[in-house]
Amino acid sequence: MKINREARNAAKKLFLLCRPAGRLDETRVRDVVKSLATARPRNYIAILSRLRKLVALEVQRHSAVVETASPLGAAEAELRSSLQKQFGPALNLQVAVNPELLGGLRVRVGSDVWDGSIRGRLHALEKSFQA
Amino acid sequence: MSNLLAEIESQIKGLKTEVSRSNVGTVREIMDGVAKIEGLTDVAYNEMVEFSNGSIGLALNLEDTEVGAIVLGEFAGIKEGDPVKTTGRLLQVPVGKALLGRVVDPLGNPLDGKGPIKSDTHYPVERVAPGIIKRKSVSQPVQTGIMAIDAMIPIGRGQRELIIGDRATGKTTVAIDTIINQAKLNRAAELSGEKDFRPLYSIYVVIGQKRANLARVLGVLEEQGALPYTIVVAATASDSATAQYIAPFSGAAIGEWFMENGMDALIVFDDLSKHAAAYRQISLILKRPSGREAYPGDVFYLHSRLLERSARLNESSGNGSLTALPIIETQSGDVSAYIPTNVISITDGQIFLETDLFYQGVRPAINVGISVSRVGSAAQIKAMKQVAGKVKLELAQFRELAAFAQFASDLDAATKAKLDRGARIVEVFKQQQYHPVSVELQAAVMWSVQNGQFDDVPVDKIKIVQDKLMEYLTTRKESLLAGIRTKKAIDDALLAELKSALADFKQMGH
Repeated sequence: MKINREARNAAKKLFLLCRPAGRLDETRVRDVVKSLATARPRNYIAILSRLRKLVALEVQRHSAVVETASPLGAAEAELRSSLQKQFGPALNLQVAVNPELLGGLRVRVGSDVWDGSIRGRLHALEKSFQA
Repeated sequence: MSNLLAEIESQIKGLKTEVSRSNVGTVREIMDGVAKIEGLTDVAYNEMVEFSNGSIGLALNLEDTEVGAIVLGEFAGIKEGDPVKTTGRLLQVPVGKALLGRVVDPLGNPLDGKGPIKSDTHYPVERVAPGIIKRKSVSQPVQTGIMAIDAMIPIGRGQRELIIGDRATGKTTVAIDTIINQAKLNRAAELSGEKDFRPLYSIYVVIGQKRANLARVLGVLEEQGALPYTIVVAATASDSATAQYIAPFSGAAIGEWFMENGMDALIVFDDLSKHAAAYRQISLILKRPSGREAYPGDVFYLHSRLLERSARLNESSGNGSLTALPIIETQSGDVSAYIPTNVISITDGQIFLETDLFYQGVRPAINVGISVSRVGSAAQIKAMKQVAGKVKLELAQFRELAAFAQFASDLDAATKAKLDRGARIVEVFKQQQYHPVSVELQAAVMWSVQNGQFDDVPVDKIKIVQDKLMEYLTTRKESLLAGIRTKKAIDDALLAELKSALADFKQMGH
């Protein structure tokens, strides 16, 4: 779907309104979506889909995905608290088990990845031999 | 000093093997070598990014929610959803003398099957041109070995001289002749052990040419022994538009290494019209706004920043230079088209080649009227200034009179003399391709023409007599030529010697 510049700018403005003090306010987002759907201004579908995209990116920016080789068990709480200390309490944390990592863990917050897995180190080793 | 830094860096690396941090993104769209990537919040403009199939991309558009990157190399294997990583490095190429004699792609990977290139120095592809303080005006000549150019449109070290003309008028030949002559001069100086000779290394950048043409050029360079002094950077017609876009900048980076290390280099961009077309393609796919003829708004800046990088540095900056010979192809002689006028205004002069002259047998088909060198005689040795100062004027007068003389049968003696002299100069400037003439020989021949030594030779025999004279001078009068070469001027003693040599030559019955 082609989203024109007008709709893009409107969506951006609405998105900024939903994010007072740099934090996404969920109730505001819901209100905005509801009023858009009822008032139906010009390009409302385009505005809504662009807004959805901006919100999705914002959510992703504040979510962390932790991959581990084996289930963490009791250590999970500790990991959660240390990550929240680093990135703020609003962090949306998911933990997944990925046996392919062989050992260690990989943390992704927004578009930053910290790779402390054995798989990652093997990759680095492989690359150093190729060079 | 750099060793120390490298040691510290390797120590740090050794300590940091525990966890690696990287900035990643996801491919959202991929089309004709341009990828739109989501994520990559830390990417810098012109930074290299790495795709999961090992291809390298270059981040060119940093937008609100996306990053537009061009893929250098293979993009067929990249799919939507693939991860992309930043590398923290700007695009760079290996530089140094190890590249001489090699054919490389725009990223510096060898294409000639002669094994890997051993070079530990890398230069970023996009660099800022040398500043004002570091520069010096052009004063040393680049001997092209082409008489018409060395006599009338002299090129200096650090100059940007455009070679412009229609298809098949000999643009590449002019450039290749120049490269061959540099190799010849370099080799001669190496053999004679001349101390203050400054070798001129050549870089030939191929942009969007046919591979068959490149193979032919390589064959010529090899055959003439010019390849050991030449680096070829090739992005042919079948390479991606992104490779064609990067190629001249890589070539310039390779040339800058010579310049900044106190050496002289010559770079040929063959050709910038195709470069502009490749850049237009990339810009259109990146959805940048298009302007005249659908070229993007920064197509002028594209070429101006490239050509600004060739310069002559002053003694305190190493005294190196980078001379540029960009080539532009025109459509049916139209020099007022968009890209040709841009590049004409950027460069320090142009050599205009014409189809009509080419088919009249005037080869190289240089139109003397609109070809200029804005550096002028500052880039000539004294001997050449002495003999060639008036040639351009004489030829211009000849062209004017020749048009006029078609209608008049009765001409006064002065007019007739001018016509005769002009016709002879035109003949003398005809030259076979890949046969550069040394500057001392050029000066001797030019002196002979200027002083009426050819006036009794019929115009259609000029070329034969000239060849004989050149052979006679090179085989019998080596000391005279060596005198001109070392003194760089024709003084009284040399003049007497030259006169007696010409008298002897005439006696032999020519």
